[in-house]
Amino acid sequence: MRKRGRAPARQGEVLELMESEVFNGLAAVGVSRSFGDVHAVVSMDLQAPAGEVTALIGPNGAGKTTLLLMLASLLAPDAGTVRIMGIDPSRNPAAARAKIGWMPDTLGVWEALTAREILSAMGRFYQLPKAAIPARVIELLALVNLSDLADQKARVLSRGQQQRLSLARALIHDPQVLLLDEPASGLDPGSRVALRQILRGLAAAGKAVVVSSHVLAELDEIADRAVFVNAGRTVLAQTVQQAATQGRRYSISALDAQVLEAALARLGVPFRAGTGRRESVSVEVGGETQASALLCDLMVEGVEVCSFAPASGALEETYMSMDVEQR
Amino acid sequence: MTMTTKDGAGTPGEPQPDEPRAGRLGAYWAGVTAVVGMEMRQRMRSRGWYVMLAIWFVIIALVTWLTWWSWSSQSSFQAGGPDGNHAGPGSLIFEIVMAFVLLFGLLVAPAFSANAVNGDRAAGTLAIMQVTLLRPGQILWGKFLASWIAGLAFLVVSTPFLLFGILQGGLGAGHILVALLMLAIELGVVCALGVGISALANRPLFSIVVTYLVVAALSVGTLIAFGLGAMVSHGTVMANQTFYKGGYSAITPEDLGPDGQAARPTPPAGITDQNADYACYGPLREYQSVRTDRVAWILAMNPFVVVADSIPYSPRPGSDYSPTGAFETISQGARVAQAGPAATYPCADGKVTPAYLTPKTPLWPLGLGLQLLLAGGVLALGWRALRTPAGKLPKGTRVA
Repeated sequence: MRKRGRAPARQGEVLELMESEVFNGLAAVGVSRSFGDVHAVVSMDLQAPAGEVTALIGPNGAGKTTLLLMLASLLAPDAGTVRIMGIDPSRNPAAARAKIGWMPDTLGVWEALTAREILSAMGRFYQLPKAAIPARVIELLALVNLSDLADQKARVLSRGQQQRLSLARALIHDPQVLLLDEPASGLDPGSRVALRQILRGLAAAGKAVVVSSHVLAELDEIADRAVFVNAGRTVLAQTVQQAATQGRRYSISALDAQVLEAALARLGVPFRAGTGRRESVSVEVGGETQASALLCDLMVEGVEVCSFAPASGALEETYMSMDVEQR
Repeated sequence: MTMTTKDGAGTPGEPQPDEPRAGRLGAYWAGVTAVVGMEMRQRMRSRGWYVMLAIWFVIIALVTWLTWWSWSSQSSFQAGGPDGNHAGPGSLIFEIVMAFVLLFGLLVAPAFSANAVNGDRAAGTLAIMQVTLLRPGQILWGKFLASWIAGLAFLVVSTPFLLFGILQGGLGAGHILVALLMLAIELGVVCALGVGISALANRPLFSIVVTYLVVAALSVGTLIAFGLGAMVSHGTVMANQTFYKGGYSAITPEDLGPDGQAARPTPPAGITDQNADYACYGPLREYQSVRTDRVAWILAMNPFVVVADSIPYSPRPGSDYSPTGAFETISQGARVAQAGPAATYPCADGKVTPAYLTPKTPLWPLGLGLQLLLAGGVLALGWRALRTPAGKLPKGTRVA
């Protein structure tokens, strides 16, 4: 239902995109790809403007990785177009690849090589000037906090460290478009915060960043916009701003739960018992303005509110409200 | 972690060609060497490679020692000492060691070439190379050269024994250089086959087995195919009668005439050609014969034939000279097959056939050419499979 309702708007965006010759960033329009009988990606649209972080969200098997492979110029789409800063990767892969940094979900490290050697080799594969490679490698190792482990074999690095090395590898040639497939999986909280900073920094430097992830709460902080995909289709594209202003559930708890419930009943706000560990209720709120109004009302009612917060992240709210089917 | 994403002084903005002086070929080669460097670094760090080298060294040493030992015990038994008019064991040791080096090389080369591409695919590192500015050809060339260099290390390890064979006498430097060169090329052919097959097959185990089968087909299958092929390729040859003159040594006292002269059988009339042993006479007639020349190309693809045939032998004087060394015998056999009945059937075309075929048209360029064609074809198919963005994918392949 939602999809049909949104279709005209998306069509409009698509046309607009095709008209503007060079879209500054990454754009995929009506991309599809099947493997034999499996239609991994049926029709996906994605726009990742430069200077912003775009989240790619969807359940397992929704086609996120396949889409990223097509965006990374590794897979040719059966239909649809991909443009990287206006370049068609099918026609001119070399020019597109100079602008793409890709971090796969499979780590794929050369285990016998050290972190420094891997990055140096990547620099040579990207035809960077030989003299500039060592300095660039040192810079990137510092960026992902692997300087101390620079001369350790990749084999002995932990999963999270390998993940960071993989990120550095994707950044070696200073790409304009970054495609990160599940970059946060396996990272400890500290590294996640660092990853967030790195990605925000890259966006601030004018790069188009695409992140696929399941960690939705994390994405609220990182992403500027999100593309929701399911069963090979783009279901919804929205900005985090939009997601935050949409109706969502708030979780409220008070010193005296009975007083809170009585007050909500008086105000005519439907509520239900919360799912958290603490005794709380959750209510549906139209948006942030309405939320703050409700808090005021509760204060006026004399409820001793001790916590009042969104029950889940904005993107998570959208994700959960979609009928996602897992494959 | 610090934030240093803002482009610093050393940050390369746009990837540029390596050096202005390097042309397109230079840039291409730079990519190939980058891949070779990376591959070699990884190979040098794997313990298995050194273990294999050590086992190789021990086996070749054993073979050399056994050959030398058996030769010296035999010659002391025959001549009462290693002096006498014997040729040194040089040729013997050299050839046996070389045959073993080739044999083991053919056995070992698939093991370190036939997982070069799909091993990386399984580890998820192939796609990472494909997404860089490397072209599929550069990846393939790099992997092939790296596995070839790894194969040449085995040849280098066995040189002390080849040198020992030379020092035992009887062989020229050119002889040895050609032999080493051909061994190196044969290793290269197998490595190319292995790398090409590994780019085509999904699983390393499968591609290694297939490569072994191809090697077996080349070294054993060609013999069988040649034999079977010869059986069905019947033909005729025009030849006349053969008259054997007989040797003096075979003459018994009964054959002596009254005047003490050997009563030699009178030569028939109408001799068309003759040598010391026999004469050809009479009118030409059609004889049934096996046309080995039609299937000799199969034999030519055999790596042992290629190596044996490429070594220059200098036929020693004397019309009845027969090949002495093992490799020379192989070479002669192959050339007899190549020449076919026209050159080997006694009195074909009324001409006496020489006992030793002088290398007029060597067989090895044909064999090596066919091998290179095969290896090149497999590599070309592998190159197709490595192109990205990938269109059709074989079933079950995951790009990354």
